[in-house]
Amino acid sequence: MPPPLPTASPASITLERVTKRFPGGVVAVDKIDLIVEPGEFFSLLGPSGCGKTTTLRMIAGFEAADEGRVVVGGRDLTHVPVHHRDMGMVFQSYALFPHRTVAENVAFGLRMRGVARPEMAARVASALAQVKLEGYEARRPAELSGGQQQRVALARAIVIRPPVLLCDEPLGALDRKLRQAMQVELKELQRALGVTLVFVTHDQEEALAMSDRIGVMNSGRLEQVGAPADIYDRPRTRFVAEFIGEINLIEGRVHDGGFIAADGRVLPVSSEKGEGAAALALRPEKLRIVSSGAGVIDGVLSDASFLGDQVLYTVTLADGRRLLVKERNPGTGALRQNGSTLGVRWEPRDAVILRNA
Amino acid sequence: MRGRRASLGQRAYLVANGAILFFLLAPLAVVAVFALNPTPFIQFPPVGVTTRWFEKFFASAEFMGSLRLSLEVAAAVVVLATLIGAAAALALARGGLPGTRFLTALFLAPLMLPAILTGLALFQALQLAGFGRPTWALVVGHTLVAVPYVMRTTLAVLSDFDRRIEEAAASLGAPPLRVFFEVTLPIIRPGVIAGSIFAFIVSFDQFPISLFLVTPSRETLPVVLFNYMKFDLDGAIAAASMVSILLALAVVIVIDRLVGLRATMRF
Repeated sequence: MPPPLPTASPASITLERVTKRFPGGVVAVDKIDLIVEPGEFFSLLGPSGCGKTTTLRMIAGFEAADEGRVVVGGRDLTHVPVHHRDMGMVFQSYALFPHRTVAENVAFGLRMRGVARPEMAARVASALAQVKLEGYEARRPAELSGGQQQRVALARAIVIRPPVLLCDEPLGALDRKLRQAMQVELKELQRALGVTLVFVTHDQEEALAMSDRIGVMNSGRLEQVGAPADIYDRPRTRFVAEFIGEINLIEGRVHDGGFIAADGRVLPVSSEKGEGAAALALRPEKLRIVSSGAGVIDGVLSDASFLGDQVLYTVTLADGRRLLVKERNPGTGALRQNGSTLGVRWEPRDAVILRNA
Repeated sequence: MRGRRASLGQRAYLVANGAILFFLLAPLAVVAVFALNPTPFIQFPPVGVTTRWFEKFFASAEFMGSLRLSLEVAAAVVVLATLIGAAAALALARGGLPGTRFLTALFLAPLMLPAILTGLALFQALQLAGFGRPTWALVVGHTLVAVPYVMRTTLAVLSDFDRRIEEAAASLGAPPLRVFFEVTLPIIRPGVIAGSIFAFIVSFDQFPISLFLVTPSRETLPVVLFNYMKFDLDGAIAAASMVSILLALAVVIVIDRLVGLRATMRF
C-alpha cells in the first residue's frame, strides 16, 4: 500500500440564500440555505431539472449566483473565479484531456500550481495508486474503459489536495455492477482523504448508500436535509416521500390527535398535534399482512411480485385503492395466493403524517 | 455460401472505388504523360520521355517569378485565414453573440458567391478607393475566400467539444488563457490545421480573383499558366501543372509531419 495522500484540512461549505435565474426567467435555484460540515459526504438528490447540478456549479464557480453568498472554509467565494477556488471537480463525462496521457492529466493541477518535478511525480504516482491505476501512466484516455477514465478524473481532482471535492453524477455513465463497486471505493477514498465531498445524483439508492447527509431538491428548493435514515423513515414532504423508495399514501386529515382517512376510518398513528388535511405515508416494508379482520384494513391480494430477497404484494382495498406490502422472501417458494382476503396492519410509530402545504 | 457472397460484395465495392479513383486520377495521368512526352502537343501513345518541358519551366523567369509570388501570397493567406477563421469560429460557437446564424451565413457567404464576382467587386472597390492593384490586395482577396474553409473545419470540431474539459482545467487552477492554450487549442487543432491546408490550396490554385488583381508585371502562377495556354500550348504547361500539384502535396505532407495532423485526428 502506498502512503495515503496528505490532504488540506477539509472545509465547510455554506450557502446563504443562493439563487440562480436563467435567461427567460426560469429560477433554477431558489434561495437555498445549506451548511455542509467539514469532511462530510453530502449528496444533493433530486430529479433532473431540480437545480442540483446548478447548485454544485455555483459552489464550483462555473455559474455565478444571482443572489446570496457561497462561503467555503470561512472564505467568501461568491465572486472568486473558478481557478482560484481550489476545488476538485469530477464530471459525469469524465472530461479528461484527450490529448494528454493519464500521468499528464493527473499532473495538470500540480503544474498549474508550479509544483516542482520530483514532488509532482511522487504525488501523481500516489494519486494513481489511490485509485488503483498504477501502470497506466502512459496511456491516453481513449485507451481506457469508462470506469478507468473516471478513476483518472478522480486522481486528477484529489492530487491537488482540495479541501472540497465536487462530483456531478460521477458514476452516472457506468453500468450497474461497476457503479456499485465504485460507490464503495469513492466512499472509502473520501474517508481516507477526509475531504468534504458534495455529490450530485438522481439515483436515490446511491445517495442513501453513500451519504452522511442528503439534501433532497425539487424545483430549485431544498425540500429536506438529513441523514439517509432520516430522509427515508421521516420524510417531511410528499415529494420527498414519493421520490425516495416506494410509499403508500392515504389521504385524510388530522383531527383530535389522530388521523382520519377520507373514508372516515380512524387509522393508527403516533399522537399528532394540530388539525387539517394531510396524508398518511407508509413504507411497504413497514406493513404486515395478517389474517382477515385482525388488521387495520381488510383487502384482497391482487398481485405478487417476486423481487428476490423480498416479495412485493399489492393489496386492493374495498374502495379500489391499493396498498403495497413488502415481505421478506420466506425461502420456501410459497408465495401468498392471489385473490385471498387478508388484513393489513402497521405500528403507529411507522406511520408518517405529511401535512398538505 | 457466405464467403462467396461477401466476396461478390467486396468486388463490387472495389470496382466502385476503383472507378472513383480512376475518375479522380486520370486527368493527372494525362498531365503527367503530356509533361514527359517530347512532342509539343498532346499525343497518345507518347513517343518518348524527356525533361525538356520541366527545364523550360524552371528556366523561365516568368514562370519562376509567378511561382514565387503564388507561394508568398499563399503563405500570408494561410496565416491570416487561419487566425481569422479560427477566431471567428470560436466567437460564433462560444461567444453567445446575438444573431449567430446570420453571422455564420455572412462569414460563409464567399463560398456561395462565384469567385469571379468577388474578384470583380474587390477590383472595383480598390479602384474607387484609389489603391490600384497592390500585392496585399491579392492576399486580401484570397483570404476572403479561404476564411470560410478554416471556419467550417473549426466549427465542426467545436460542435462536439465537451466544454466540461475546459471547466475541469479551470477547476484545477488554470486561468482562462492557459485553459485556451493548454486545452482548447490542442483539441481543436486538427480542425484548424485541416482548414489551413484548404486555405493554402484555395490561394495557391486561385484563378478568378487573382485575374482581377494582378498586374502584367506581377502575376500569380495560375494566371501565367492561363495566359501561356492562350498563345503557346506545349509541354511546359503540363510540367508547370505537375510542379504545382507536387508542391501542394508537399505542403500537405510537411504540415502533417510538422504538427502531426494524423496523430491528433486519432481520437
